[in-house]
Amino acid sequence: MKASVIYTGLSLIAAALFLLATLFGEYTAVERIGGAVWVFMLSMIILMPAVTSAVKKRSGG
Amino acid sequence: MPTPRKKTSLALFIGGMTCAACVRHVEGALQTVPGVSMVTVNLATSRAAVEYDPSQATLADLKKAVEDMGYSASLDVDELSITGMSCAACVKNIERVVATMPGVSSVVVNLAAGTARVEYAPTVTPLPDIITAIGDIGYGAAEKIEGQAALDREQGARAEEIKKQKRSLIIAGTLGLIVMLGMFQPYWILADFVPAWMNNKVFLFFLTTPIVFGPGRQFFVNSWNGLKRGLTDMNLLYATGIGAAYLIAVINTFFPDTGFGGHDATFYEAAALLTVFIILGRYLEAVTRGRTSESIRHLMKLQPKLARVIREGIESEITAEAVLVGDIVAVRPGEVIAVDGVVTEGYSAVDQAMVTGESIPVEKKSGDEILGGTLNKTGAFRFRATRVGRETALGQIIRLVEEAQTTKAPIQKLADRVAGQFIAGVHAIALIVFVFWFFIGFEAWFTPDTRLILTPYVLTGLGVFGFALLTSVTVLIISCPCALGLATPSAVMAGSGKGAEYGVLFKGADAMEATARLDAVVFDKTGTLTKGEPSVTDVIGLENERNDILRLAAIAEKHSEHPLGEAIVRAYREKFGEPDDAESFEAVPGHGIIASIEDKFILLGNRRLMATNGVNIEALESEAARLESEGKTAMFAAADGKLLGIVAVADTLKATAARAVAELKKMGLKVFMITGDNTRTAAAVGRQAGIEDVLAEVLPQDKASEVKKLQSQGLKTAMVGDGINDAPALAQADVGIAIGSGTDVAKETGNVILVRNDPLDAVAAVQVGRKTLGLIKQNLFWAFGYNTLAIPIGMGVLYPFTHQMVSPELAALLMATSSLSVTLNTLRMRSFVPAVRREKAAA
Repeated sequence: MKASVIYTGLSLIAAALFLLATLFGEYTAVERIGGAVWVFMLSMIILMPAVTSAVKKRSGG
Repeated sequence: MPTPRKKTSLALFIGGMTCAACVRHVEGALQTVPGVSMVTVNLATSRAAVEYDPSQATLADLKKAVEDMGYSASLDVDELSITGMSCAACVKNIERVVATMPGVSSVVVNLAAGTARVEYAPTVTPLPDIITAIGDIGYGAAEKIEGQAALDREQGARAEEIKKQKRSLIIAGTLGLIVMLGMFQPYWILADFVPAWMNNKVFLFFLTTPIVFGPGRQFFVNSWNGLKRGLTDMNLLYATGIGAAYLIAVINTFFPDTGFGGHDATFYEAAALLTVFIILGRYLEAVTRGRTSESIRHLMKLQPKLARVIREGIESEITAEAVLVGDIVAVRPGEVIAVDGVVTEGYSAVDQAMVTGESIPVEKKSGDEILGGTLNKTGAFRFRATRVGRETALGQIIRLVEEAQTTKAPIQKLADRVAGQFIAGVHAIALIVFVFWFFIGFEAWFTPDTRLILTPYVLTGLGVFGFALLTSVTVLIISCPCALGLATPSAVMAGSGKGAEYGVLFKGADAMEATARLDAVVFDKTGTLTKGEPSVTDVIGLENERNDILRLAAIAEKHSEHPLGEAIVRAYREKFGEPDDAESFEAVPGHGIIASIEDKFILLGNRRLMATNGVNIEALESEAARLESEGKTAMFAAADGKLLGIVAVADTLKATAARAVAELKKMGLKVFMITGDNTRTAAAVGRQAGIEDVLAEVLPQDKASEVKKLQSQGLKTAMVGDGINDAPALAQADVGIAIGSGTDVAKETGNVILVRNDPLDAVAAVQVGRKTLGLIKQNLFWAFGYNTLAIPIGMGVLYPFTHQMVSPELAALLMATSSLSVTLNTLRMRSFVPAVRREKAAA
């Protein structure tokens, strides 16, 4: 449970940062939201295994 | 004091694994089961070795963990033949008894066929216990040969996988072809042949959707199952690639104004062909992967099905599995021998090539050992069965090779680790690539004439999101490290099987790799380089005929039990037949023999015997000294007080010993000989064999420390010995090579077992090891090389210069090609013949 909160949170932060960055350029809403969703998905995929195993290790499992 | 937890281990057969990430996937799944302490999964053999605490986890838990990930899991399955059943109640009885035994997962009894199929963990409950339990309730049960069952199971699973992928390929391929025709309808000359309505995006949507959610469904389901447990694998790469291409196409079809490129950027063919190519890759891989284990399959096929047994004077044909130890088995010319045994009557020549690698048929007479699986050539004979079922030489060899194929070479562990980390790495690269092209690349380099390589597409209408997403998806597809996962296990399977063909059995992949990396080989002298029994080497006469001297010596020694005397009698018998009997005979311990023959008083022995009987040996003293300097034992022969000549006896080199040493030296290895003999004899034998580095006067217990000394000099050392008194040295060496184990291979010490007693096989072992390691390195090179080259291209490194992008479907084709190239490279091992054996065959 704890791991899922961490990787989801971090992925949301990555997507938010992406959204924030798009504000400095001329992008359509679809590009902004679509890009943020893609960044969120990839971040989740990258972080899920890493965070899950790190949390498991820390908790002695 | 806490009670220590009792651990048990078992092997699970995993179905549906395709790459190294699947290995990590399954390993990860099993490790999440409470009580599991160790998991090793082998992709090539589709086996998972699991060590767990049965008080915390059950068989069902382990199977469920694997099945939840989208793979199938099964335990060992054995077929038993059951006798004595008469009705359905018998079936229920047997099933009830067996099903409640620990370690038994399922049991299905077939009354009509008289069989029981048991799925069970042999390490928890061995098969004999199940047989005994059935026997205890009044039925007869016998085991089916395990290797054959394993072969059937493996073949069945592979056939199922091939069938599944073939079906998917036909569906996806047919629909994909129509989608491609429809997409490219406006281009080239297709407009003349393909109707325009086929380019309708809604029509293409209806064709692509069944591909993505039919044959492509497996990628989404498997990756979701993995993600639920925090595991990623190749399926995820495929799913994100196919999903993204499909989603863009659907959005551009139904909502063309949302900024994804509109109707010009509906990549239905990308989603369709991506699926087709991935499934094509899996199909070809399943087909070719099965061929790498051809050698072991060939060995298994040697196991005969029937045997003609004589019980109570009646000859009857029964299944080979039903032959019992002690049974008398009749064999006719041209028949395959069912089990191991000893010939009791008859005479024949038997072709043992399939088991021992010997190219010439071996003559068999009463008292000789024969092997199951070998071919009777000429005569008819009978033999008494000594080993049956899995205990036969062939059964042991198959088991050994199977076990070797389930182990991992050290080099593979590295590849597995890299492949496992690769997935996350690829997604990270895909993220970086997306962000780069979104914020920087698109504005800096995008031009409206952008094309996809090898397609007529011009991506004029593609927006920044569509372009960045396309590049990101291409990276995901092109980077798939499938080839990396296959590189090592496929080569190990092919190499260990090839070794078995030549009578070289590696006990594990680590032994193969260690053999390939050897710097030095230490040969034990007696029985390894030499024949291990003395034979006559020289007969020197003063005036008499040499044959006459040998004849008198043989008559004198005829009843001697001394090994030197036996050698003289054997030498005479080989040339002239049985020697006459001496009229009188007296053995003088430590001196020799005194005998009388044809009124002659014969002396045969050493200097002391001659001196005590007043025989002058001065004339041949220098010859005797020369022979002794060559490591031979010189025996003087005299008649009626007059010196006749010398008979020299020595433990001679095997015919191939010198060549084996020369070959090893040619291959850059240092060669040593180790022996308990005195320095002079050892040096003489070493000279004949071509070995300069001789370690003489070494007691058996000190051989291991001599090997250790060489290792301390940084030499990766192999010890070649007979595996009995050399056991400590074999264990100390980096590679212990047990030579001439003959048929009882399972009992041998050592990492490599040579079935025959031929030093050249030690050379063959190194050659097979080196070839296998070479294959592994080539495979890894191709796999890594592909990814190293393909990823930057997929990232769009060349785009600013060419304005062309790799399409996702081309990426999929490249990825499938890399896996196939690795598998095909491994298949080259099928035609490999170790150089020493190649020359022998040619000769």
